[in-house]
Amino acid sequence: MKLDGTNTLAAPIETVWTTLNDPEALRRCTPGLQELKEVGPDTYQATLTIGIAAVKGTYSGTLRITDKQPPRHYRIALEGSGGAGFMKGEGSVDLEPQGNGTLLRWSGDVQVGGLIAGVGQRMLGGVGKMLIGQFFKCLEQRLGSGT
Amino acid sequence: MGTRYVGARIARNEDPALLRGRGLFVDDVRLPGMVHAAVLRSPHARARIHGVDTRRARAVPGVLAVYTHADLGRLGAPLPKLIPHPSLIHHKTQCPLASDAVRYVGEPVALVVAESRYLAEDACDLIEVAYEPLPAVASVEEAVRPGSPLVHEDIGTNVCARYTQQTGDVDDAFARAPHRFRERFVVDRGAACPMETRGVVAPWDARTGLLEVWDSTQAPIPIRNGLAAMFGLLQHNVRVVAPDVGGGFGAKIMMFYPEEVLVPWAAMRLGRPVKWIEDRRESMVAMNQEREQIHDAEIAADGDGRILGVRTVFLYDSGAYIPYGLIVPIVASTTLPGPYRVPSYRCEFAAVFTNKTTVSPYRGAGRPHGVFVMERLLDRVARELGLDRAEVRRRNLIQPDQFPYDVGLIYQDNAPLRYDSGNYPLCLERALDLIDYAAWPARKQAARSEGRYVGCGVACYVEGTGIGPYEGCRITVEPSGKVVVATGVGTQGQGHMTSLAQIAADALGVTPRDVSVHTGDTALFNWGTGTFASRAATVAGNAVALAAQAVRERARRVAATLLEAPVEEIELAGGKASVRGVPARAVSLGELAVAANPLRFAMPADWDGPGLEAVRYFTPPQGAFSNGVHACIVEVDPETGMLSFHRYVVVHDCGRVINPTILEGQIHGGVAQGLGGAFWEKLAYDEQAQPLSTTFMDYLLPTAAEVPALEVAHVETPSPLNPLGIKGAGEAGVIPVAAAVAQAIEDALEPFGAHIAEAPLSPSRLRQLIAEGRRTP
Repeated sequence: MKLDGTNTLAAPIETVWTTLNDPEALRRCTPGLQELKEVGPDTYQATLTIGIAAVKGTYSGTLRITDKQPPRHYRIALEGSGGAGFMKGEGSVDLEPQGNGTLLRWSGDVQVGGLIAGVGQRMLGGVGKMLIGQFFKCLEQRLGSGT
Repeated sequence: MGTRYVGARIARNEDPALLRGRGLFVDDVRLPGMVHAAVLRSPHARARIHGVDTRRARAVPGVLAVYTHADLGRLGAPLPKLIPHPSLIHHKTQCPLASDAVRYVGEPVALVVAESRYLAEDACDLIEVAYEPLPAVASVEEAVRPGSPLVHEDIGTNVCARYTQQTGDVDDAFARAPHRFRERFVVDRGAACPMETRGVVAPWDARTGLLEVWDSTQAPIPIRNGLAAMFGLLQHNVRVVAPDVGGGFGAKIMMFYPEEVLVPWAAMRLGRPVKWIEDRRESMVAMNQEREQIHDAEIAADGDGRILGVRTVFLYDSGAYIPYGLIVPIVASTTLPGPYRVPSYRCEFAAVFTNKTTVSPYRGAGRPHGVFVMERLLDRVARELGLDRAEVRRRNLIQPDQFPYDVGLIYQDNAPLRYDSGNYPLCLERALDLIDYAAWPARKQAARSEGRYVGCGVACYVEGTGIGPYEGCRITVEPSGKVVVATGVGTQGQGHMTSLAQIAADALGVTPRDVSVHTGDTALFNWGTGTFASRAATVAGNAVALAAQAVRERARRVAATLLEAPVEEIELAGGKASVRGVPARAVSLGELAVAANPLRFAMPADWDGPGLEAVRYFTPPQGAFSNGVHACIVEVDPETGMLSFHRYVVVHDCGRVINPTILEGQIHGGVAQGLGGAFWEKLAYDEQAQPLSTTFMDYLLPTAAEVPALEVAHVETPSPLNPLGIKGAGEAGVIPVAAAVAQAIEDALEPFGAHIAEAPLSPSRLRQLIAEGRRTP
């Protein structure tokens, strides 16, 4: 399933880039994140708890950041599995200055399997957009408060 | 033989217990020391397994065992291949637990046994399986494309069988025909969804060496035979009981589902009774499914709409394995000609593996597909030639004086497809009368002038039923005068306790309430195959008739001695034997049973066994062919794509009717399932073969709100193939529904030019088809 969107953030591109690459910011802003452990350069071990439709599940897996072109672009690959099935996703984030702020474009392709596919796939688009929205809202707040 | 009860609309013997919640289903079996199993299933449609780590799961307190393929030894081999066929080159079956690969979402990978189901499920979450996900094959069309991923890599293809049947010179008929019409039809997947899911409870007694298996199956005797062979036990020491079963619809006849082997095996290993009950979500991926076929079909007709030839080439989706062989596509191929004279016919299919749940017969078992193709082709002929739809059918029907009618094909029982009896024109005319077809054009016009879109559909079918090999029955009259009937065919709601009792009651002069029917317990009757293919009433019913007749004769002989009268003058009625014309000279059946089993005295020279008891078997020479016509009036709301049924008429001929209430129940249930397959129920899979409709939120079973009131009429053309003259009815209700509904919808949407060539439809799909119709009313 493909998802994409844009967000405008009220901070210069460099600040946005730094925040996006700050494990602490990721930890605080990723909805349902239980654990994020750096296990190598740009590679993290993550545990997430997410509810999709009637299925709440904990997924553990890895998150990799690749193709880094500071401060404009990176790709992100995510893979996780748990009792409720598995999810696999790949996406890209592109930044460009827009006035005093930054325009962020994101896109991703997510595949789910097992229980979450059978029960939740219909809801996945909506839930995905909602979670990503929460992520950027949190990010915005952090940028706004200057942390 | 009197016929007071056969044919009577009597209440069912089984209902008092069932309606009061006193049934005994597998989940009601609770045994001391019982532990619970849960199955870890693959979340991937296709993946390699590089390892399974069960350590964390095994460490959970209360977990008794975690089994993987490596633990199974000899039992890890692929499960038995049922019903081989010379054309089935790659007869693949699954292992009870996957070894190095999984091939559909839901394939069992590990079995956990714990003190409770909760613990067992929690432990499943702790098993770590190293999967290497691979691209999956999600559709039959993709599966036959060059370069498609392979479901079974070792065979180098996804096509496991190709099979062609032909009668007459089809190509010549097409070459000469003045009219030829080609269509492509798609019938998608559905699930049987019995109210009771599958379940197994197995206690093992190491001291007596007796394995007992309570199994929600349609075939307890073959399950018993197979388990005895797999475990190296005497068949005598394995008892399989299918108690009350809450629906099977074909999906509970597998021999074997993995759990049917794993649960008894775990019970023997652990020395504790083990219980496994399939939950609904599991059932939507782990219970066999059916229905996906794609037909490229063509009909040749003369200018009067008479059929000259039919040919179809189709793909049959077998899912990841093909345990049940080619039964479904063969039944589809042979049901297609239906009640019509088809002078030339060719049907060729490829059975294809996909990374989806395994397919085996589900109520209809290919018949709905065949009928959908034939009926839609006839609708096309009618439309193109400007003929009335019913008239096209009328012109092509096999006539009553043409029976037995040889279709020229080989049926699923490997015998020639020969219709035994029927009156097809009578059924069609009855249905047309009931739906008031003559007045239809005016009513359609009236609805249209009100801006409403109402359509009428009429579809005919022939249903092969009552195939062999045989069934049997033992009837015993007890000293109380009660009659015990034991047979191998289990019941999943068909009313055997009543229909079989009616047959025995008539022969023995008792009431059906005095007859206690026992089915589905291998300890009570040892021989038989099972309840499937609309065969139980026909095959077991006639065995009951034969056994009851034998008991009757013995009772009369004993009574003749006691009453000092000639045998010919002994009559059985009201639970007694009496001398004709002298009702006071009578003795009860119970007294006869006691007299037939004395404690002393030498038996007479012609003695043939103790008590009033007989065992008889019935084997039909071939299947018996039922038939019927469905007609419906449907209104479509083009804004929402929703349907409302104004009327639904069924005219049905299954030979002599044993109990009209039971028969109508069969038809009602069948039509409901047929409506699901026509409009509501769709098993959706994504492009990686992930099932998307695994709950009843997304898999829409028709409810009382969707199923219209049904009007059912019976025509009775006895079968010459068995003493009772009966034919089967189990699948009748479901068979022509998709065809009749599609025709009615197309009729309703005629102003839009919408073309229906698929089942199931849905409201959104109908709106699409209206848009694609490219016509505005």
